[in-house]
Parts: sequence; structure tokens; C-alpha cells
Amino acid sequence: MTAWRRVQAVARKDLLVEWRGRDALLPAGSFGLAVLLVLGLVTGGGAEAAAAVLWVSVLLAAVLVVGRSTEREGEEGTLETLLLYPGSREDLFWGKWGALAALVAVLAAGLWCGQVLLFNASPRGWAGLGLVVVLAAAGLGAVGTLLAALLHHVRAGRLLLPLLFLPTTLPVLLAGIRLTEAASRGAPPGPWLGVLVVFDGLFLLVGPVLYEVVVEG
Amino acid sequence: MRAFFVGTTVALLGVGLALALWASPPDAYQGEYVRIMYVHVPSAVAAYAAAAVACASGALYLWRRQPRFDSVTLAGAELAALFSGLTLLTGMLWGKPVWGVWWAWDARLVSTAVLFLLYLGALLVRGLAEDPDRGRRLCAAVAVLAFLDVPLVHYSVVWFRTLHQGPSVGPEGVKIAPALLVPLVVNVAAYLALLSLLLVERTRLAQAEAGR
Repeated sequence: MTAWRRVQAVARKDLLVEWRGRDALLPAGSFGLAVLLVLGLVTGGGAEAAAAVLWVSVLLAAVLVVGRSTEREGEEGTLETLLLYPGSREDLFWGKWGALAALVAVLAAGLWCGQVLLFNASPRGWAGLGLVVVLAAAGLGAVGTLLAALLHHVRAGRLLLPLLFLPTTLPVLLAGIRLTEAASRGAPPGPWLGVLVVFDGLFLLVGPVLYEVVVEG
Repeated sequence: MRAFFVGTTVALLGVGLALALWASPPDAYQGEYVRIMYVHVPSAVAAYAAAAVACASGALYLWRRQPRFDSVTLAGAELAALFSGLTLLTGMLWGKPVWGVWWAWDARLVSTAVLFLLYLGALLVRGLAEDPDRGRRLCAAVAVLAFLDVPLVHYSVVWFRTLHQGPSVGPEGVKIAPALLVPLVVNVAAYLALLSLLLVERTRLAQAEAGR
């Protein structure tokens, strides 16, 4: 089996489990919507806070998706089984990253639709925002995949996940906010696209290397 | 050798303290509060140096799996958390009288807080891992991850918003009076000596605890 086939098989497995169980995206999406509502209410639902509220809700909902992924591996012992298969562990990282990034992208796209409706925001610049969602999902997916594996055999791992995930992904949150604002105004992205690209590059470079050592038995 | 090391560190700390309290004049704008800078800036330098040590030794441990690198990683992570905590505390004590607030959403404050939280996370992961060997690996991985992430966090917060003054000593020259610069440099040297001493002692202790 080639590396690419292994990556595809792992990503397909994770997406299939999610499709059949719907126990990550649906609760996390609903939670994200609740965060949108609560933050929208307390900030007055003004256009100036819309992008910040959107990306805070995406980040918090993404923590739940990553947490569910860690929990699922623990409940069913699937990571140990996957580790027994021949092939590089890097392929496992890429497969899991692909599935998690896809889930986070769907989550962010869904919450963006919610934000447009709740904040009466203009859906202007949706093409640019699509690129932002893809880049942000890639970065959040890389950090999430690594942390899910890292906290797999740690007591109170679900409690430690937000402690590590939120500060690490702060650049994604800030870049997401500024790029969403720029896209909705039709303004140039400034240095923020670079921040997202560098963040993604760094974690997609370091992620597979660290993943190999954290999943060791 | 150890006695010389301890003696030099204590002497440097003593000279630094004396310069900070008596030799340094009060600042034209900050008044006597400028003296907090002689603890705040050296603590920040020591925190980033400790984080660099934890990152380098963490990477070496993951690569070579030699226990001595794990002991250094543990010492570096603990000291990074300690000195970044001290930086935040002294920064807040200075911020209230000078800026009028305990906390400001500034790049350096946020990146130091992130550094503190990530190294706290590294220590928690190590302590709460089901297997001590796994805990050592995970702590090393978080130490590497944290050190790579903090510069990105810093620059993104700088672009997002910043209030903190620019560096007083940098490529653009020295923007601080010699009367303030000398005590600052001596205190930075003293804190780096203290960091080295604590690193050595904590590494020894970690090796003794592990029976190595």
C-alpha cells in the first residue's frame, strides 16, 4: 500500500466514523452557534464585533471537535490498532489531519453562515473568506491532530486540551478576524495572509515529526 | 567550581540590586517605578533563555533519548514558567502606576502570558501522563512546540494591537541613558547567571530523583 493510499484510508475512516456517528460536528456546531448567540448578545451584535465573534466561536467549537477525536480514540482504542499497521506514522498524521481539517472547515463555513444571518452581515468577499477558512482549518487541524495524539494517554487530557490549543492557535484567531474584516470590506489582506501561511507551514512541517514521537508506545 | 559559580551569581545579584536601588537615578517620566524594570526585563530575558534551553534539550531528548536531556528539559520548562510568571507579576506591578492599569492587551504581555501557559501545560502534561516515559516525551514535544509558536504569537499580537514601548536596546541603537543602561545590563547578567545556576541545580536534582 502506498503512503498516499494509507493517508486516504485513514482520512476516509475518520470521516466515515463521523458521518455514521455525527457525534463531533453536530454537537460542536451547535455549541459554536450558542457561542455566536451569547457573544452576539453581549457585544450588541454590531458589525465591528462580527468577525471576532465568528472566529472565537470557531476556535471554541474546534476545541470540542479535537476533544471528541481524542475521546473516540481512547474509547475504542483505534489509535493503538492503527499503530499496529505497517507503514510510516507520518501517514497517520496526514490522514488524521486531512479529516480534522475538513471537519473544522465545514464547521467554520457553517458558523460563517450563522454569523451572516445573526449579525445581518454582508456576505461580500465570500471567495476570499473561503481561502481564509481553508488556511485556518489547515492550521487548526495540524495543531489539533498533534494535541489529540499528545493528550491521548494523559489523565485529564480533555481539560488540558484547551490550555494548550487556545494559546497555540492565537495567531490563527487574530489572522482570521483581520482577514474576515478585510474580505467583507474588500480591503487588501495585509500581513495576515502571511501569518496564516507561516503558521500552517510551521505546524505542517513540525507536526508530523512530533506526531511520530508522541504516538510511540 | 560550584562554590565559585554560586559566589559569582550572588555577587552579581548583590551588585545589580545595589545599582538598581541606589546608583540608578529615577526616570523623568516613570519616577522611582523605573526600578521595577531591573527585575522585570532581566526576568523576561531569563524566561526566553530558559524556554530556548527547554526547546533545544527537548528536541535533543526526542532525537537521542538520553535521560540527561530530559532532566535539562524539565529544568528549562520549570524555569521558563517561573521567570515568565515573575515577568508578568512585575510588569503588572509597574503597569498600574505608570500605565494606570494592571493589564493591557499588548503583544509582549500576551506573548509572555502565552509562554507561561504553554510551559505550565508542558509541566502538567508531564505530571499527568499515565506512563512516566511517555510524560517525558510529551513534555519535550510541548517544550519544542511552545518555543516555535511564541514568536508567531508575538508578531501577530504586535500587528493586531500594541501599547508596550519598543525595545530600548536593538539594531536601531541604544535609546536608554547610560545611567539606566549599566544597572540594566548588570541585572540581566545577574539573572542569566541565576538562571544558569538554577538550571544546573534543578538538572542535578531531577537526575537524583530519577536515580540516574
